[in-house]
Amino acid sequence: MRIQTILFIALFFLAGVAWINAGSKPTPLKFVVPAGWPSPVYDFKKNPLTRQGFELGRKLFYDEKLSKDSTISCAGCHQQFGGFSTYDHNLSHGFNNSLTTRNAPALQNLAWQKEFMWDGGITHLDLQPLAPLTAINEMGETLANVVKKLNRDTAYKRMFTAAFGAPVITTQKMTMALSQFVLMLVSSNSKYDKVTRGEAEFSLPEKLGYEIFQRKCRSCHATPLFTDLSYRNTGLQADSTLADYGRMKITGNKKDSLKFKVPSLRNVAITFPYGHDGRFFSLQNVYEHYRNKMQVTADTDSLLQQKIPLSNYETSQLTAFLRTLTDTSFLKNPAFAPPGYPITPSFIHY
Amino acid sequence: MLKIPFVIVLITCLITGAFTRGKAKQSIVTSIKLKHWVGNKEMKLFDETYTNPFGEPFIISKFRYYISAISLTDNNQVETSLAGRYFLVNEADTLSKTIELLTVAPVATISFVLGVDSATNTGGVQTGGLDPANGMFWTWNSGYIFAKLEGQSDVSPAPAHSFTWDVGGFRHGQNALRKVTLVLNKNGTARSSFVVNADVLQWFNAVHPLKIAQSPVCHQPGELAKKIADNYSAMFSVAP
Repeated sequence: MRIQTILFIALFFLAGVAWINAGSKPTPLKFVVPAGWPSPVYDFKKNPLTRQGFELGRKLFYDEKLSKDSTISCAGCHQQFGGFSTYDHNLSHGFNNSLTTRNAPALQNLAWQKEFMWDGGITHLDLQPLAPLTAINEMGETLANVVKKLNRDTAYKRMFTAAFGAPVITTQKMTMALSQFVLMLVSSNSKYDKVTRGEAEFSLPEKLGYEIFQRKCRSCHATPLFTDLSYRNTGLQADSTLADYGRMKITGNKKDSLKFKVPSLRNVAITFPYGHDGRFFSLQNVYEHYRNKMQVTADTDSLLQQKIPLSNYETSQLTAFLRTLTDTSFLKNPAFAPPGYPITPSFIHY
Repeated sequence: MLKIPFVIVLITCLITGAFTRGKAKQSIVTSIKLKHWVGNKEMKLFDETYTNPFGEPFIISKFRYYISAISLTDNNQVETSLAGRYFLVNEADTLSKTIELLTVAPVATISFVLGVDSATNTGGVQTGGLDPANGMFWTWNSGYIFAKLEGQSDVSPAPAHSFTWDVGGFRHGQNALRKVTLVLNKNGTARSSFVVNADVLQWFNAVHPLKIAQSPVCHQPGELAKKIADNYSAMFSVAP
């Protein structure tokens, strides 16, 4: 009889605690898959998006404290106005006057990607931040120190509690929050998308450019992501100071020498320079590579054995089309701007 | 609202159930003590200079490895599997050198994998012993460092005479996961407390001869890592 009473009181207490905690649950955030797009590959069940998780991720993304000398944030090399690439830089700048060896890729539509980096060496979105955080020519910090710094900060304690239910700050929770932010970076509202949805019409040069794109570019830069996410040898010679052989470094397979991931063409007009080492400063440089300068060998991609014939006339039309991939609603979305930006994020509603 | 207390009652029942079952079945605490040796000398970090089978001198600053997928059998060939548990053994951390497990009966054989399975390598950021902050993870080429022997050697041509063998690799053609099986009941008696010795000298020539002067550094998956893994998988033996 007495045991039953104690048990009842204990259960009542537990129920009370559960009820209180239920009141401070993070607010779910909806991930919208654009119409006609494939299903994302990121497992949202293991890291459910919440408003609090997203906001924490955004704060982390813009926080320079994550680097060794508090000078470089993720956003330092992934700038919103540059489509989250490094605007106008061939190689990004790292800690203590260092240069990275590759061009920072644009961050967009990451929920559809299984592998990251130009060589695909990183196999999960949550694992991605570990590389720039610790690389000596990027943020130069140790993971243990990053976690220590966050633990000392009461604002972070509060935000981690709000996002994950406990004031526990670990590498895992930090990277999950960063993923929540970058997963929301979906670019699917360019003029091209509007034309696809029947909301706008191409001009004549854009339309002609789209036809050229479909014939000469699309097999690698597949829609709707404008990349097939494969690794290909496009006849680039390795720079002697970088000695970057791409995918081979990951697989150890000679066949993968000089293969790099096909980059997306979304927002391409503002993500210059181009190429894994940023060697092409303009679209014109890229056209010139494919129609003329590329070094075709037996290892060059089978689709490029004849290079890509492009007349001057065609390159202008192609440029007109590629500019329709610029998504200003993405580039200027205040929800992706540094925290404290005064406009309420439009997609957050509950 | 009514659902919450109901769920709690359910959970309480389940936990109680699990405990009662555990009491009836898994009553023995098996304790595995790992002892690290360099030949016949007990390992000391930093302070001692050792000599490998090729006469090369070296000091050790770090010695760590992952043990996973432990499986135990008793004298009746009944198997207890501990899949999903990962132990980071670190010479610098005394607590990490004792592994305690709940078993049904004394242990006749033990097998385990040195390293971390591929699903866990690619399954996002882990925590606890698998936290990448433990320094056992390659960030640029996702994957755990399965085992690490680091120090210095006068014969090493690498910068600062470094001698750093970090071994890992789970991709096709780079697999450095190695399974180890040890027999405990050679005299017929199963045991519930035992010492497993690990001799670092096996890293150099158990299967492949590997000299510091020729291969002072291993920092990525591949042929060298696989050879070191072949060698170190032979480093374990059960103390009598």
